[in-house]
Amino acid sequence: MIQVTGLTKLYGEFVALRGLTMTVSAGGVLGLVGPNGAGKTTTLRCLAGIIPPSQGTVLICGHDIHREPVAAKRQLAFFTDEPRLFDYLTVWQHLNFVARIYQVAEWESIGRALIEELELADKADKLPGELSRGMKQKLVIACGLLHSPQVIFFDEPLTGLDPMGIRRMKDSILKRAREGAAVIISSHLLHLVEEICSHLLILKGGQMVAHGTIDEIRQRFAADGGTKLEEIFFRATDASPPPAVSSLPQS
Amino acid sequence: MTSALIYLILMTWRNRLVTRFKRLKQPKYLLGAVVGGLYFYFYFYRFLFRDRGGNPKGGFQDSDLALIELIGAAILCLIVLSFWFFPSKRAALTFSEAEVAFLFPAPISRRTLIHFKLLRSQLAILITVFFLALLSAGAGSWRLTLMHAGGYWVALSILSLHSLGASLERTRLLDRGLTNWGRRFIVLSLVLGVGVWVALWTRQTLPPLTDADTASAKSIISYGKALLTSGPLLYVLAPFRLMVKPRFAPDLISFLLALWPALLLMLLHYFWVIRSNVAFEEASLEASQKLAERVAAARAGNWRAAKKNQKAARAPFKLRPLGSPVIALLWKNLIGAGSILSARFLIVMLAIAFGVSMGMRGGMGKSGGPVAIAMMAAALAVWSLLFGPQVLRQDFRREVPQMDMLKVLPMPGWQIALGQILTPVVLLSGVQWLLVLVAMIFATQIETTKLPWELILGIGGSIALLLPCLNLVSLLIPNAAVLLFPSWFQTGKDAPHGIEATGQRIIFALGQFLALGLSIVPAAGVFLIFFFTFRLVLPVWVVLPIAALATALGLLITAGFGVYFLGKLFDRFDLSNETTA
Repeated sequence: MIQVTGLTKLYGEFVALRGLTMTVSAGGVLGLVGPNGAGKTTTLRCLAGIIPPSQGTVLICGHDIHREPVAAKRQLAFFTDEPRLFDYLTVWQHLNFVARIYQVAEWESIGRALIEELELADKADKLPGELSRGMKQKLVIACGLLHSPQVIFFDEPLTGLDPMGIRRMKDSILKRAREGAAVIISSHLLHLVEEICSHLLILKGGQMVAHGTIDEIRQRFAADGGTKLEEIFFRATDASPPPAVSSLPQS
Repeated sequence: MTSALIYLILMTWRNRLVTRFKRLKQPKYLLGAVVGGLYFYFYFYRFLFRDRGGNPKGGFQDSDLALIELIGAAILCLIVLSFWFFPSKRAALTFSEAEVAFLFPAPISRRTLIHFKLLRSQLAILITVFFLALLSAGAGSWRLTLMHAGGYWVALSILSLHSLGASLERTRLLDRGLTNWGRRFIVLSLVLGVGVWVALWTRQTLPPLTDADTASAKSIISYGKALLTSGPLLYVLAPFRLMVKPRFAPDLISFLLALWPALLLMLLHYFWVIRSNVAFEEASLEASQKLAERVAAARAGNWRAAKKNQKAARAPFKLRPLGSPVIALLWKNLIGAGSILSARFLIVMLAIAFGVSMGMRGGMGKSGGPVAIAMMAAALAVWSLLFGPQVLRQDFRREVPQMDMLKVLPMPGWQIALGQILTPVVLLSGVQWLLVLVAMIFATQIETTKLPWELILGIGGSIALLLPCLNLVSLLIPNAAVLLFPSWFQTGKDAPHGIEATGQRIIFALGQFLALGLSIVPAAGVFLIFFFTFRLVLPVWVVLPIAALATALGLLITAGFGVYFLGKLFDRFDLSNETTA
């Protein structure tokens, strides 16, 4: 579903991403983790065709995102950490707009089911300005799922959600994966990654430092194979964990 | 504590200025500042540096000045009444979100917060006074300019204090059980009472109003002068006259004599405000959040969202799920332009246009009224062709912050470009067709030249055919500029403000005029070839639309290449260069 080969992104002379190669197959959920500035968002933006790669290729369902952007983009959905919406379109108008862009003939029934599932049905005529952050996030999800994408990218999907929203989001991601979508999630929340991802990719300074199934990475970075993902993260990125509270100087 | 707040105000302004000066190292800001500076220099040149005759009264007679002073006082009176009549919310001193976060939990008294608010409002008042003084300085000497500045400062400061005091007092009345409608009833009763008093006095004192009194503007002014200068209105407006008197003082002595009562009034207002002990924090908190949202929307160029009460707009047409996605972008942007398209707005505009046109026709009869209206409509159409693309921005210019949303759409670049650019083309063309129609209707009424109706139809139809194509070509430039120089359209806190922004807009407008001019030259050639070729065998009114059609096709081909190029620019547009730095 997602095939990335030698993906490199330069900002001037600064290398934001260097030679990333990976594959995510149908039903796979890849967790993209790394410290701040590791290149996670750049990776997702390159994969979604928002920014052009400097080198390398990205195939989405067999379509090169750079050479056949329309065919590739038709198969994907990209969810940013901040819900981006057109603030002059209502909830229902957003769905209508997306339906025409992606040519979804049966959009009304799908859209109605989605907004009911996401508890937005009574907000159909509301503008984004009248919605809470969580509601906006739900609307973005409804828009993204309207055309049943085969490839889904999430950038920090749990930001700003309440516990119920978090639970629903996790379920929704796993449901899409079970239905055969390839999913990539970029997140700092390692427990989320541990809970729902089948694969893990750790980036540091724009370079891939680890890639594989969660168990494979556990085996690689911890001899006993039972270490927590947080510990693995610190080992893989050569970062010292912050001192425990008890060891902090007392004020 | 107050010193800390003064420090906050001064440092905010200093840092803002320093940042703006530092930005001048970048060519885009420097060029914008130079062009903007030149624009302001020449704009104010006539006020600042022209030979001034030193006429402190600006050519007015004493009686005229007294009348102007009274009119100014009456306007202030209406503004003050509006402070008491219209608002319905509790007192909300406007603070930024950061100020709320730092100052509200801090050990600062309510009175100090009010002082902070007053100090900050003074900065805004001083800037306003500076520009007002510049505009009014042409009539006299530098001393007079300073006196005018002093006059404006006193009047605006009292007005600002009264606005604040009224908002606090309204809240106190609400707390004591007087509802908004109760307060409005009292204000309305007072206004009606004064109105009845004035009407009775007028009936008893002034001669009855005759047709002669309303025959001309001069006689109406004369009657109004009598009403304002010799009746109860003279006393009712007395405090407001105190506010405006320093501004109209012809010399230094008069100014000083007028200044001290105004200062006394200001002092009374000051004590009134700072002695108000009304809880404004909760309402201010809500107001600051709304203000922050509106500022963010305005900085992002989204003035619709920046408005206080944003309402969902009805879709202009039913968007079917299948078909060209270009139409989806047009549909979306037309909804975004909802306030312009609303049926109520169009009906009001049509009613006004119809009323004005009929009024002018009726008033002028055969004396050139139709000519004036036809020419005015034509001039407005030309103006909209030149400046419309700068005003209507429902295209890439408004979507810079949402560019990544457009980037993920499964559409080729040229389709996105076309979809984005179509909305202002449609809106502008609609307005222009209306203006052409008005010009055509009134051109048929011109009796001096007796233009045949078929010729008018030919000319109007040809222009109507050409205008959308010209709009399309014209809008390519500002949109290409966004994609070529996106940082010039930066939004958020780094967006250019003031002189630099004015300069940048002037540069883009000049670029747009140049492109329009260049595209018109070959189009005009096509038009002339077709016109003179077909003129040999066909009448003018038939030849004109034929030539226009050929020219329109030529312009459409040009625009087609332009849209394709714009699409390529969009495809190559690297958002990362703008979002990282």
